[in-house]
Amino acid sequence: MYLIEKNNVMKLAEELAKSYSLYGPVVDKDTKQVFFNKVSSASEISLTAEIPSIPPKTVVFPQIERILKYNYDKDAKKVEMEPDFDSSSKALFGIRPCDLTGIVVLDRFFMGLEFVDEVYLEHRKRMFIVTNTCTVPFKQCFCVCTDSGPSADEGYDLNLTDLGDVYLVETGSDKGRAFAEKMGLKASGPEHTLEKKNAVDKSISLFEKLATDNKAWISRVMNRVTTGFIKEEVWEHIGKQCFECGACTFVCPTCSCFNIEDHNKFNGSTDRLRTWDSCSFEGYTKMAGDHNPRHPVEDRRNKRFFCKLSYSQSKKYLRPGCVGCGRCQWVCPGDIGLPNVVTYIRREITE
Amino acid sequence: MSDVQKKVITIPEIATVVEVKDEIQDVKTFYLKFDNPEVDANFKIKSGQFVMLTVFGYGESAISLPPSPENDRFHLSVRKVGKVTDALHNLVAGDKVGIRGPFGNGFPFEEIKGKNIIYVAGGIGLIPLRSSIVHVLQNRKDFGRIIVLLGARTPKDLMYQNDIEEWLKIEGFECYVTVDQKTEGWKGETGFVNSLIEKANVPVENTVAFVCGPPVMFNSVIGDLMSRGLKDDCIISTLERHMKCGIGKCQHCAIGRTLVCTDGPVYTYKQIKTLGEVI
Repeated sequence: MYLIEKNNVMKLAEELAKSYSLYGPVVDKDTKQVFFNKVSSASEISLTAEIPSIPPKTVVFPQIERILKYNYDKDAKKVEMEPDFDSSSKALFGIRPCDLTGIVVLDRFFMGLEFVDEVYLEHRKRMFIVTNTCTVPFKQCFCVCTDSGPSADEGYDLNLTDLGDVYLVETGSDKGRAFAEKMGLKASGPEHTLEKKNAVDKSISLFEKLATDNKAWISRVMNRVTTGFIKEEVWEHIGKQCFECGACTFVCPTCSCFNIEDHNKFNGSTDRLRTWDSCSFEGYTKMAGDHNPRHPVEDRRNKRFFCKLSYSQSKKYLRPGCVGCGRCQWVCPGDIGLPNVVTYIRREITE
Repeated sequence: MSDVQKKVITIPEIATVVEVKDEIQDVKTFYLKFDNPEVDANFKIKSGQFVMLTVFGYGESAISLPPSPENDRFHLSVRKVGKVTDALHNLVAGDKVGIRGPFGNGFPFEEIKGKNIIYVAGGIGLIPLRSSIVHVLQNRKDFGRIIVLLGARTPKDLMYQNDIEEWLKIEGFECYVTVDQKTEGWKGETGFVNSLIEKANVPVENTVAFVCGPPVMFNSVIGDLMSRGLKDDCIISTLERHMKCGIGKCQHCAIGRTLVCTDGPVYTYKQIKTLGEVI
């Protein structure tokens, strides 16, 4: 473990920017909204910013990306095909633990199962991740209930914790250790480890005040969702509040459904685009010939929460599908973000 | 794991349409050959699997595989039903398509050896079953009775009529056909396909049934087979879903806790019952 003075911490980002495309939380000057964007200079990044509105999954799984371009000359019967993967080296600086957990979940889903998704693999292969421990919770956070915060345990190269005047720098990989050595960071002592533990404990106690409603219920609800002991009426109630806008799935750090479309261009070539899709859309399961096996909206809502909370889905992620960032709660116009769904199911269990 | 993981799956292999054959109204069969000889030689399928077919300029669709895994020409039989399949039907010999796959678990073969096999197909439900039928007939001596029960709307909607004539030459192959509406000259049965179950005196002991067809047919056929005493794990079907990737990532084909592309498309009725929202 190492230490770095607060006013020097951005030097890490500056150094990373030399060999990686740098991404980090940026506060929009006019709206004060936070985005996790590619930056041209390390000075744009704010380590004190709230969690970004859109999760950093956009870096590894962009909303729209071209995966293939091809040109079919119908007269000459000739196909020219060229895969188009983004294999640039990227550094994520100041990612929050919940969002890192989101990426870990996506790693296991895209790369850990029978088939490996090459497009994702190329994004992910040459990545440097610097996490930022949350020493204070933000308005809708409940990561303490989903085991994904407020400090990161795995998956980072470097982990920063604000200890007042200094940042504690923990290393989570050989790449991270080599980088810390190269930067000539000074070693930390046991007192700093204790200081970090105290800071995290304090943060957890602040979280607990925010998340009391749902704490301990997530696991009960997971059990109910898995075993199917939830009355149809509860899903219908939840379904009736759904606007089918898809916002919850777009801001979710672990939602990864995608669509693939061939987009013809004026010059005669075609782009195969991979875009985000959402299980809340009616056309999501519609087949050619208009047969749709999953029709009512409550079926589709049910599906999303099954994906986040069921045990069988957790087996793919090796943890719950929800990382407790609370974004679905911010954006949902129908007030059925995941914490509220947990509350509805809790009421059904207790009443 | 490393030999299980197949890496290059996002990029289609280019294949040439060698021959196009009209089957029935709106259904054509496309005989294909991969342009890369190495791919062509190594393309091995299992009955019941499917491929992702790209029609260049239009998109990609999941299409079931009718050829037998042994000594059969690579072909796809496709009904014109949407954007991609409409475009496919306009292709002629010499045109190029893209193929990814094969994907999916496939029908059991080794496990059903020594048993009586019943195929129940409605309309183009015969397409995915063809692969297994041909495979089983190629190994005729390993099986008991082989019965195909076939239903179609009209005599003109009967798939693979030439194939059926060939199969009937094989000893012990039984085929019963019925149509919903008879047309002039039709001397066979009329009625729904489940009426054939009685007529064929379908065995129950040591028997496996493969069922594929439209949802209405599926439910009534399964009901009749079960009431004759066939067990739910001896009834096998193949499901179709909207699919985008074929490799378990896009999640469009999720049913319950399974994905049709990687856990299916072949399921036993025992599994189907537990999944919900299937048909």
